[in-house]
Amino acid sequence: MSLKIAVLVKQVPDHEAIVQLKSDRELDIEERYVCSFFDEVAIEAALNIKKDNPETEIFALSAGGRRAVDALRRAVAMGIDNVEHIGDETLETVDNYYTARVLAARLKTQQPGLIICGKQAGDDDAAAVGPMVAALLNIPHASAVVSLEMAAGTGRIKIGREAEGEVQYFESGFPLLVTAEKGLAEPHVPVVMRVMKAMKTQAAHIPIEELGLADIEPGGRVRRLRYAAPPERPPVTMIEQPFPENVVELINHLRQGGVV
Amino acid sequence: MNCKEIWVIAEIRQGSLTRTTSQLLGAARKLAEQQGLHAAAVLLGGEQTQADELARKVPLILWVKEPRLETYEASRYAYALRQLIEVRGSPVAILTGAGAAGLEFLPRLSMSCDSAYASSCVDLWWEGSELACRRPVYGGKVYEELALSTKPAFFTVRPGAFAVPENLETPGKIEAVSVTVPEDLGLDLIERKRTTAGQKDLSEAARVVAGGRGMGVPENFKLLEELAGVLDGAVGVSRAVVDAGWFPHDIQVGKSGKTISPELYIACGISGAIHHVLGINTAKVVVAINKDPDAAIFKSADYGIIGDALEILPGLIEKLKV
Ligand SMILES: Cc1cc2nc3c(=O)[nH]c(=O)nc-3n(C[C@H](O)[C@H](O)[C@H](O)COP(=O)(O)OP(=O)(O)OC[C@H]3O[C@@H](n4cnc5c(N)ncnc54)[C@H](O)[C@@H]3O)c2cc1C
Ligand SMILES: Nc1ncnc2c1ncn2[C@@H]1O[C@H](COP(=O)(O)O)[C@@H](O)[C@H]1O
Repeated sequence: MSLKIAVLVKQVPDHEAIVQLKSDRELDIEERYVCSFFDEVAIEAALNIKKDNPETEIFALSAGGRRAVDALRRAVAMGIDNVEHIGDETLETVDNYYTARVLAARLKTQQPGLIICGKQAGDDDAAAVGPMVAALLNIPHASAVVSLEMAAGTGRIKIGREAEGEVQYFESGFPLLVTAEKGLAEPHVPVVMRVMKAMKTQAAHIPIEELGLADIEPGGRVRRLRYAAPPERPPVTMIEQPFPENVVELINHLRQGGVV
Repeated sequence: MNCKEIWVIAEIRQGSLTRTTSQLLGAARKLAEQQGLHAAAVLLGGEQTQADELARKVPLILWVKEPRLETYEASRYAYALRQLIEVRGSPVAILTGAGAAGLEFLPRLSMSCDSAYASSCVDLWWEGSELACRRPVYGGKVYEELALSTKPAFFTVRPGAFAVPENLETPGKIEAVSVTVPEDLGLDLIERKRTTAGQKDLSEAARVVAGGRGMGVPENFKLLEELAGVLDGAVGVSRAVVDAGWFPHDIQVGKSGKTISPELYIACGISGAIHHVLGINTAKVVVAINKDPDAAIFKSADYGIIGDALEILPGLIEKLKV
């Protein structure tokens, strides 16, 4: 059976990039962007399915400004030939709701059997776009998936989903959307040849106007009031006494703080 | 149609309500009071004991006793709640914990109601007639504050954001609501495997004892389990020991593992890489035990001890037992 897989990818600041407030309206983000960690897991998971099922067709989508093309280049470098860039800079500031609308509108015409997203994007950490897209397409979904196993010849798939203290296994037909948790696949470092190919890739571009979303106002649901600095942890208190007095001292502090 | 209510979708784990559910009931009561609304808990499936437990904390319980909701599944939960909204009217807000289930079904439900959603919040308040929230972004390096303009406004909330409320003087009213979920909806659960035998749930635990590569060998993690036992807490680990194959991924703490907000986090033999500490930004008190005085973990800690975790842990266990 030939399966069509869509992988949704997003370019986000690296975990190690400095992100701080410029003002309560604006952030200062160090220019170190990468394809979101869990989206690379999603890419690898799709490639793994294709390895065992050579008929599989994979394409990657990213919605956003010029940066989105870099996420797609990563997908190409890792082994996905077919990539599509949706929209423009105006999408860089929209909420999850609108992003999901945009992606779902495109996916409706492409009709993939399986959609793989990242568990959450490394910028807004929302874990929302995948489930929202599934709702819009009216297809089942599972979040934080750690295993995907195609049942040969049956057109069905076994999904392992991580929940608190357990993995739950579900069986499903297609279409289906899953979000990739760490452990689903181990993203490989692309070979130089593929990286070169990726640099030359021209992603197909779909303007937002072609998606028929004119009646939906971007940003009509969620209003950002402000950015704020994270609560600061007071400077560390080092407990200098030798063992075992240090242990007693620590317990005293913790008891005073009411945490033990 | 609207109803003047704020709903908390109750989460049950290992037979009882989660700590986050109780905290959210307190938050819902307070938020409701401030605007002349009513707080209610929604129990999907579940048992009388859980309905009674809820009744001690909230004036109204909407109990949906549909057998197909006995085991959780995202599209069934979203479907049932969509029906409940239709029969009862749209509440002002719907809250649930930011655990595996909440993060999975609530954004789905919000979209099928064509309304706004905010994920993994650490605070909620009124901004005029709109509910606003505070949430960490970029792994907690900064926070954003959002106001949600459409109703119902949907929020998943992290553990530890609110205090567990006092019991009510008179128990809440339990109202059975009938909603049916179609036979063929959703994914079929075929099997479940526990990964952390008997251990308290990491995301819910008020106290977490975590170990990294500095613990040396897997056997030494027994010390962490023992300390977690004494503290009625859970064990967490760094990615280095998950990658070494010593522990399953679901107890990994950090950016590519769990983000947790316990009252107390004790890091033993963990260097404090940014990826790790992004997972404990919202922990209340952090203790670091590391033999390297320059370990980065001390910058993210409230209390630090320079020393051998294998010596200090038995000491802590012994002294805490008495
Ligand atoms: C994309 C990405 C995502 C990542 N996500 C995560 C994540 O989610 N969670 C995570 O943890 N890591 C994550 N990492 C890995 C992270 O960068 C670190 O490599 C990892 O956290 C190191 O684990 P560790 O502290 O256990 O080991 P090490 O860095 O090896 O540190 C061991 C520490 O133990 C101390 N020590 C040694 N012996 C003793 C002793 N007897 N007593 C006391 N102290 C002792 C040492 O001084 C040292 O500080 C991620 C990395 C990447 C690239
Ligand atoms: N602009 C986007 N373009 C493509 N995919 C996206 C976009 N935003 C989010 N996604 C997908 O949805 C996942 C979850 O994102 P989020 O809900 O923002 O945490 C990501 O890991 C991606 O797979």
